[in-house]
Amino acid sequence: MNAIPISQRRIVGLALLAAALAAWYFSGYAGQDRLGEIAIAAIFAMSLDLMVGYGGMVSLGHALFFGLGAYALAGLTLFLKWPAAAALPAAVLLTGIVALVIGRLIVHLGGVFFIMVTLAFGQMGWAWFARDRIFGGIGGLSGVPQLDLAAFGADLANPGDFALLAVAVATVVYLLLARLIDSPFGAVVSALHRNANRARALGCPVQRYKLAVFTVAAMLAALAGTLQTQRTGFVSPDLLVWTSSGEVLIMVIIGGLGSLLGPIAGAALWTLLHHYLSAVTPYWMAIMGSFFVAIVLFAGEGLYGALARLTRRLRHV
Amino acid sequence: MPDPASLVIQLLNGLQYAMLLFLLSVGLSVVFGLMNFINLAHGTVYMLGAFLGLTLVRATGSFWGALALAPLFAAAIGALFYAVLLRRVQGESAMKQVLVTFGLIFIGIDVVRMIWGDYEEAIAAPALLADSVRIWGQLYPSYRLFVIALGLLVAIVLWLGLERTRLGAVVRAGVDDRVMAASLGINIEAAFFGVFCLGCWLAGLAGVVAAPVLQIYPGMDVAILIPTLIVVVVGGPGSLKGALLGSLLIGMAETFGAVLLPEFASFMIYAVMVLVLLLRPGGLLPARPAA
Repeated sequence: MNAIPISQRRIVGLALLAAALAAWYFSGYAGQDRLGEIAIAAIFAMSLDLMVGYGGMVSLGHALFFGLGAYALAGLTLFLKWPAAAALPAAVLLTGIVALVIGRLIVHLGGVFFIMVTLAFGQMGWAWFARDRIFGGIGGLSGVPQLDLAAFGADLANPGDFALLAVAVATVVYLLLARLIDSPFGAVVSALHRNANRARALGCPVQRYKLAVFTVAAMLAALAGTLQTQRTGFVSPDLLVWTSSGEVLIMVIIGGLGSLLGPIAGAALWTLLHHYLSAVTPYWMAIMGSFFVAIVLFAGEGLYGALARLTRRLRHV
Repeated sequence: MPDPASLVIQLLNGLQYAMLLFLLSVGLSVVFGLMNFINLAHGTVYMLGAFLGLTLVRATGSFWGALALAPLFAAAIGALFYAVLLRRVQGESAMKQVLVTFGLIFIGIDVVRMIWGDYEEAIAAPALLADSVRIWGQLYPSYRLFVIALGLLVAIVLWLGLERTRLGAVVRAGVDDRVMAASLGINIEAAFFGVFCLGCWLAGLAGVVAAPVLQIYPGMDVAILIPTLIVVVVGGPGSLKGALLGSLLIGMAETFGAVLLPEFASFMIYAVMVLVLLLRPGGLLPARPAA
């Protein structure tokens, strides 16, 4: 991690953005809708990469925050009649507060313990929304209003416009995260990931940094969740079910932990694969699981790691 | 306000659920104490035990035969997983092992759907225990009393095995300080494998035992995995006593939560977990004091 030169990051980042724009330009409604979905997944995956790849906290409950963001937006717009433009940042902020409370409880836990507890917290969210009556329980709730972008000549009901917005947001999130990781804050985070005891001995308030990373990652996941409601107009407990937390972790691992750009490619690959598989077989979960096991066992550094190795080799030729 | 008789019934229900959770969590917890590894596919083994039990009951008509055989199959499947997948990443990182077992959950659900279909099934309680007994004027299914008795029996046998046998001493030493035990010539790897297989056997047993009480369906694995993990967290990893105490707490919280606070029933066990994380982050009765 972090061994990727900035010049290379720029090239790969621009290539991904160019690929997204080309996909937008050359595809029809369905393709553009998929692109929007990929952009949302990319934001979600980048947020988890911050937590896992840089912060060293492997979470199996990250979908909790994705779902909380979506539900908060739905609640604020449908029940409190807030305009979507105000509800969106408020939903992200609310999720941040919840993440601060949960993170305060769990960031000090060691690796495997952390996995178990995050899985449990994720299911807690699922159990809550599956039972509750306000948001329609297991069936969910539709009709979440969209942002009004008429002033910009855009309409989010149009998949093309939505995809452009989502890609733009994903780009901004990437730039912010890359900035964060290159900052002194990011240096401390990767230091405490590598050797927490040493960081502590140097006087670093380890828990506070971990809590900050946890909360920022949760808020970005919430942002992705709010965008999902903008795409589908719908919330349901499926948003925060355990398989969703698992899938986003797969995206990050496929792409390459701690590379930010890798998880974007992982998100694209996974979303397309998921659609293709679930269309051809009812047993796509087994294929997905096998894929997951294979990736964990053999892929090591993921797509990005493979790319980095390839360019190193080319340079030495 | 619940009257004393129904209180006793709920107490028994809670105890019965707690015993199921104990069968599931004790193996997980001791393995965690030994190798800092948690098998997230433990619920999958439980589900396989239940479905294998279903097939055996249908084929032989005997519940007792299924109870004897299905857990052995479950243990064999566990041993196979270990040999094929988990050993491969043994020295590398505990995290990788845990993630591999997470992937197995996905596969397990679909394999069960492929073989047994996507239905809810149940196994009838054996004829011997099909009746109810009268407790304080209320009828209570005798099968549930059997579950409680079986759980207590397993707890006693495991306790004796852990405290009074040489093998138990090896496991305790390993949990206490793995490096030290290994340098004294104890084969921790073998102890780990043994406990892991025993844990899978217990999970298979729990699957068959639970079948007449709870429903059998693809997805029952995750439904039980979460409370089981919470038991390990609450009880503190590595200890039998912790698993027992955690099971009792979570079993009672779930049962009485459903009766007293139905609105928040699905929340109770998480509330217990949060409370324990706040007050005793290492669990209530961990085998090792928190570092």
